[in-house]
Amino acid sequence: MKISFPYMGVPFVYKKVLELLGHDVIMPPRPSQRTIDLGVKYSPEFACFPLKVIMGSYIEAIKMGADTIVTSGGHGPCRAGFYGENHQQTLKQLGYDVDFIVFDGWRDNIKRNIQNVRKIKGKNSIFKVYKIVRLVYQMLQVVDSLEMRIQTLRAYEKAKGTCNKIWDAIQRKLDEVETKEQLEEFKKYFYDQLDRVELQEVAPQEKIRIGIVGEIYVVMEPSINMQIEKVLGDMGVEVRRSQYLSQWVEHNMIPFKKTHEDEILKKGEPWIEISIGGHAKQTMGHIVDYKQQGFDGIIHLMPFACLPELISQGIMPKISEELDIPVLTIPLDEQTGLANNLTRIEAFVDLLKNKKNNQHKTAVIA
Amino acid sequence: MGKIFIGIDVGSVSTNVVAIDLSGNLIFENYQRTNGQPIASVKRGLGELKKEYENVEVLGVGATGSGRQLAGVMVGADIVKNEITAHAVASIQEVPGVRTIFEIGGQDSKIIILQDEMVVDFAMNTVCAAGTGSFLDHQSERLGIPIEEFGDMALTAQKDVRIAGRCTVFAESDMIAKQQFGFSKAEIINGLCQALVRNYINNLGRGKKLEPPFAFQGGVAANKGIVAAFKREVGPDITVPEHHKVMGALGAALLSKEYITQSKQKTTFRGFESLDMEFTPSSFDCTGCSNQCEVIKVEADGQVIAMWGDRCGKWTNSL
Ligand code: SF4
Repeated sequence: MKISFPYMGVPFVYKKVLELLGHDVIMPPRPSQRTIDLGVKYSPEFACFPLKVIMGSYIEAIKMGADTIVTSGGHGPCRAGFYGENHQQTLKQLGYDVDFIVFDGWRDNIKRNIQNVRKIKGKNSIFKVYKIVRLVYQMLQVVDSLEMRIQTLRAYEKAKGTCNKIWDAIQRKLDEVETKEQLEEFKKYFYDQLDRVELQEVAPQEKIRIGIVGEIYVVMEPSINMQIEKVLGDMGVEVRRSQYLSQWVEHNMIPFKKTHEDEILKKGEPWIEISIGGHAKQTMGHIVDYKQQGFDGIIHLMPFACLPELISQGIMPKISEELDIPVLTIPLDEQTGLANNLTRIEAFVDLLKNKKNNQHKTAVIA
Repeated sequence: MGKIFIGIDVGSVSTNVVAIDLSGNLIFENYQRTNGQPIASVKRGLGELKKEYENVEVLGVGATGSGRQLAGVMVGADIVKNEITAHAVASIQEVPGVRTIFEIGGQDSKIIILQDEMVVDFAMNTVCAAGTGSFLDHQSERLGIPIEEFGDMALTAQKDVRIAGRCTVFAESDMIAKQQFGFSKAEIINGLCQALVRNYINNLGRGKKLEPPFAFQGGVAANKGIVAAFKREVGPDITVPEHHKVMGALGAALLSKEYITQSKQKTTFRGFESLDMEFTPSSFDCTGCSNQCEVIKVEADGQVIAMWGDRCGKWTNSL
């Protein structure tokens, strides 16, 4: 069995779990133009953008020798719920013989999940599996907290690119971590590295914080969202995003836990009452949450043809006005042009600076 | 010897160069077709400026438009800004109290909402031609009426006719049908103007409160038929600023003035002599990793002066 998985966020972590369980892992390549081209070519035209990119990823992984794909199922009534099936069928039609192991959220389909765990766990005892999952969960927590620091520091670093280099190193080094002790060391080492990043002095009223919300795949995967976090960081903006892997694991993999996401869902309730699939409700909840935390603005990433986010987009003018927080919606698909969106993002940051400083007629960034 | 600030707006259709004096008054404007050659058109525009103002001292330069980065490194701009901010800045000066800016250019269009002289919201359309100047260009060609006469002719229309403006293809077939029903050319043109405005407002103004006073700028603002259609749609309080064609460039000049005055910096303008330099932009696909970025490189007299487009910073930082 040669296992692969969708590329999203910090994929080294998925690789880690599978390797620790003793599987042969095929690491999918980071989505590139080629991935997107492949995905677009072989997906239904009206499918949403993430489905297409992931399709491309699968094809690439299969060509590298993968015969089994582990993935998560989507929530609720939007198309994400059929991702697994859709991919499977298309790949079959293309003549690829692959097995799919689709994990749903714990709460959604306990029976299937137990079957899946059996398949994945191989000869390992349940206890060992538990230990591995726990270690990896701890790894995710460390990585997420490092990343959040980077999302802040990047805005103020003296030498542009310093944080990006550290972040690359973090992802690479993560691959070598196999025990709790190594994780501790890893954590100490990189916290230290980040402490040493030289920073510019920026007056508090000049600091801008933006929360990135929207569908999980485009929010989490820099290679298809124009690396928006880096772009904003280089403009001197601090960012946070609505999804972090450790939170996802908490919410989807750990039964009965009251999670951050439950809270977010509650905050989204007044805006979208029922679950409409995808992450639309979370999108609303996160906007409320970011406002409460004093963020200056929201960037809403919406994959083209994503139904739930289309609905949330419709609510944006209202929530933006009522909460008094500016929102910029950016639709993403295979034709997304960076130049155009850069203009939008730049203008949006100007707008936020103006709003914050009020006294200037125009924001001038040197 | 006068002192001036220069603003340059490089768009895909036109390249505009303006100069302002120390109080921000526009004293020079030049409008050129870009024709896919931004460098040559910037040179030509600046050349005209130099001809007219032989001995001026340039205190600062701002660049905007989709080619702002290239123009910026080429002339040594002090400030490089997006079109939205630039247009807003110019409007705030030219149309006191402006709350909503309609901007329709050859290839794109925007709506900018202001409050207390600050941009609070905006929308931009760059994908669909139906809400831009090229829609009109195209139809004027079809009808065999020069675009300059379009506006006046629209105003002579006797009856209203509704033309589908969703997209150029539908508009065209609808237009032919309406011609066959016997509507006059003037009426059809008027219908087209209204279709463009309706479409523009539906696309960009959706979910926004459009408050007067309005400013209408961009190349299309010269068209009286469109102005009339806007009045019909949003009310009479709409101003077409005198320099409506070069508002982006004017904004860039104003921004450079503000920046230089506030920061007390000396300008980084390369001087008019730089016009004689040979600028060669080129691009290559980096094979450093799977991103395969298209990296843009600009050389001046054989020396690399700027690179961008790389996601990892490998090339940008190599200078
Ligand atoms: S420029 Fe950097 S990110 Fe882009 S392909 Fe080359 S190495 Fe990769």
